[in-house]
Order: sequence, then structure tokens, then C-alpha cells
Amino acid sequence: MDLQTEAVKDLWKDVDRLGDLLHCFNCSTCLSGCPASYGDPPLLVRNLARKVLYGLEEELFEEDTPWACVSCSKCEEMCPMDVKPFELILHIRQWQSTNDETRVPPSITEIYRRGYTQAVATNDELRAELGLKPLPTINKNEEQLKLFQEMLMKTPVVAANDYMFG
Amino acid sequence: MEFCLFLGCNTPAVRPDVERAIRATMEELGVDLIDTDNYVCCPAFGSFPSTDEESWLATSGWNLSLAEEKQRDILVQCGSCYSSLRMGREHLMHDKKMQKRINELLEPTGRSVQGGSKIRHVTEVLYREITPAKIAEKVTHSLEGLHGIVQYPCHTLFPSEVVGFEDSPREPKGMRELVEALGATVDSYSLERQCCGGAGGFMKSTPEQAIQFAKNKFDAILEETKADFIAVSCITCLMHMENVQNTINKQIGEEKYKIPVFDYNQLLALCMGKDPKEVSAITNMPRDAIHDHIAKVAA
Ligand code: SF4
Ligand code: SF4
Repeated sequence: MDLQTEAVKDLWKDVDRLGDLLHCFNCSTCLSGCPASYGDPPLLVRNLARKVLYGLEEELFEEDTPWACVSCSKCEEMCPMDVKPFELILHIRQWQSTNDETRVPPSITEIYRRGYTQAVATNDELRAELGLKPLPTINKNEEQLKLFQEMLMKTPVVAANDYMFG
Repeated sequence: MEFCLFLGCNTPAVRPDVERAIRATMEELGVDLIDTDNYVCCPAFGSFPSTDEESWLATSGWNLSLAEEKQRDILVQCGSCYSSLRMGREHLMHDKKMQKRINELLEPTGRSVQGGSKIRHVTEVLYREITPAKIAEKVTHSLEGLHGIVQYPCHTLFPSEVVGFEDSPREPKGMRELVEALGATVDSYSLERQCCGGAGGFMKSTPEQAIQFAKNKFDAILEETKADFIAVSCITCLMHMENVQNTINKQIGEEKYKIPVFDYNQLLALCMGKDPKEVSAITNMPRDAIHDHIAKVAA
């Protein structure tokens, strides 16, 4: 593991920004409706909460399971202690991708380049067949796309990995 | 009623027939939809929300500011867009320091985020504002004689404290009543509230288990219901529930799972007599039986 010391020191602060984890009493309710808990290895939010609380940085850093989350927020609904487990998942991902560029999702370069994860507005012919007008999307508006890219350039992930956004 | 229509990435790129169905039906029900010019990805949870708070909220802020400029709430169908935009807005409203930072970033655009535009899901507007009774009056081509099941979009149910347009998230009724308003019989089954499992990295990172997870659901549908169709109201549910049936069929070497999946507004459009070639045209799960049935009942 190649963690910068600073990041290690900041584990608690970075991952538990809301201070909610202290209330987790490991009841496992968050697992009961979680689709990704069905995976192999399973996503076990309870265990992730524990790893953060105990400061098990190396283990947490290697965890792939937070990326299997489907974002359904069922855990947030179920948790009796208002720990907001889905926010925890996002915070762990943020912490990992901030400290390990191989975790930076390629989709953000697509969004930077054309505004979308998919090739939106390249199907005007099909749209016309369906009776749809062309969409006023950002990839057809140079000025707005440039403003959008300049805005993103000032945010941490894009500034730190600017070589990905050429 | 007028909204900024937020289409996200998948609907206009992959399933524009759903977009056509939404536009055609909502306008006829008195809901005017204006385009959210220059919108960008919501952003999807696997993108900026997984890298850092600032790029996430700058992207949410970009979208929210467009709707605020038009002084309209945002209407979405995609569950992930709904959740991401809603959470983005909440974070910005709760964290004044972050809101200030995002407004600094937005300054060159001349726009800002103040929280004036809310995020509304299309089923909420149909269920709460238009109401199933009013929808039933608009039906010229009924689904009478057909059985359906409903897939609730998770993102519209949880966390109910902040999403909540159902009386009870444990017993949601909106989608059911909306489909019943079209004349169909809606069957219940044991895994009705199980997530489709299609969003995020579940399918990608652990496909074998994710497929089994979906198969359990489809087995329950086949065993416990007479479903001729599945009604969803989320682009991910729509695409995943079609694709995964085909995937399982390939694995088992027979066409066992072939229940057509419709976005609710597609069914509504068909029931209002719209042309299937426009509002229900793109699919990899044959729908002719449903189209033919509707045509026959109407005649
Ligand atoms: S449901 Fe909440 S309190 Fe219980 S283990 Fe999960 S996060 Fe902790
Ligand atoms: S939001 Fe993620 S962690 Fe929570 S229940 Fe859904 S899949 Fe599991």
C-alpha cells in the first residue's frame, strides 16, 4: 500500500465526515435489504463501519466491495441509528480514489469531455423517427461546455488528475 | 403545471422511445415540460460522487442552477438521477460553506444555486398531482384482461424521511394504483419489493451472484403471478430487467424468462392510443403480444 501519511492520519476525518459512525452499534440491520450483500465477496456495510471506527486503514484501502453498491438507500432506510450507511459507502470510495488514482472512475472523464456518461444527442435521426426534436444538450454548445470544463478543472479530482482530462 | 424535464444519460441515448412516451403523455395530462438546456450527467453515483464532494456538488449545482434560472422544479424518471440530484440539493442546502464554494465555481455562468427548484419523480406527479382517477378517464385503449406486476424504483422509496410520497414505504401503492388505472390486474408476489439490482457496480463486480439475485425474483414472478408484463418507472430497472432475462435464457439454453418490461409512461401512452412505433419501439424483449392485445381490446 502506498498511502500518504497525511491521508492515513486523516482517515477518521475523511471517511466519517458527518460523525455519524460513532452511533453504529453493529446491529447488521443495514445488511438485511442490501442487494450487494448477496455478492461474493459480499458488501457488508456493518463491517466497513467497523473498519473505519477501528482505523483499519490498510484493509479499508483494499476493499473493493463499496463499489458494488447499487445506491438503493435501503440501508439508510433501515439503520436504527441514523448512521447513513450509503453516505459512508460514498465517503469510502472518495477516500480511496483521492489516495489511489487507479480508483478514479473513467466515467468522470466522459462527463468532462461531453457532459454525459453516454453518447447523448448523437441519435437525431432515430429521434426524428420517434417524433422527437433534437435535444439542446451541452455537447452542442461549445461555450457552455467550456464553462463546464473550466468549472470542473477547479475541483479536487480533476485538478489532481489533470492528465486524464486532456 | 410546468417542469424542467431532466432526461439524464440513458433515456435519450439508449431508450428515446421512453422519452417520447413521457413527453406525449404528460403534455396531454396538462403537465408542460420544458427542456433543461445544457444539462449534464446528474452526476451518476459511480462518477463524481465517488471521487470528492466538491466535483459532485459542482455538477449537481450546474444542473440545479439551470432549473432555478427557469424557476421550475425538475421532473425525472431515472431513479439514480432522482436520488443524485435530490442528495446534491440537500447537501448544498445543509452545508452553507459548500454552497458558497459551488456558487463561486458557478459564477462565470451567471447562475447560482439557492435551492429554489425541487426534484420530483414522474410517478409522484402522476400519483399525487394528476391522480389515478384522472388517468383512468384518459384511457381509450385499456389493458383489460392483462395481468401485470410493478417494480417500485428504490430511489423513490428510500430514505422515506426525505423522499416519501407514499403513505408507507413498506407498503407502497402508487405504481400499483397507476397501473390499475389503465385497466390491468396487478398481481402481488413475495419478492415484489426486492431491488432490480441493476444499478451501480453489483452486476459488474459480482455478475454470477447478481444474476442469481435477479433470477430469484423472476422465478417468484413466474411461480406466483400471471404477469403478462412488468411496469417500472426507472430507466435502470427497465434496461436491467430486460437484459438480465435474456442473459439467464442464454445461460440455461431456453427462452424461459420473457416477460416484457415497460416504463409506466409507455403503458400510459399506449393506453391513450399513441403509436407503439413511437412510444414503445426499442426493446430486446418482444412486446407484440401486449401491443396486439391493446389494439384488439380497443377495436
Ligand atoms: S444498521 Fe446502522 S447501526 Fe446497524 S450496523 Fe448498520 S450502520 Fe451500524
Ligand atoms: S445503498 Fe448500497 S449499501 Fe445500502 S442497501 Fe443499497 S446497495 Fe446496499
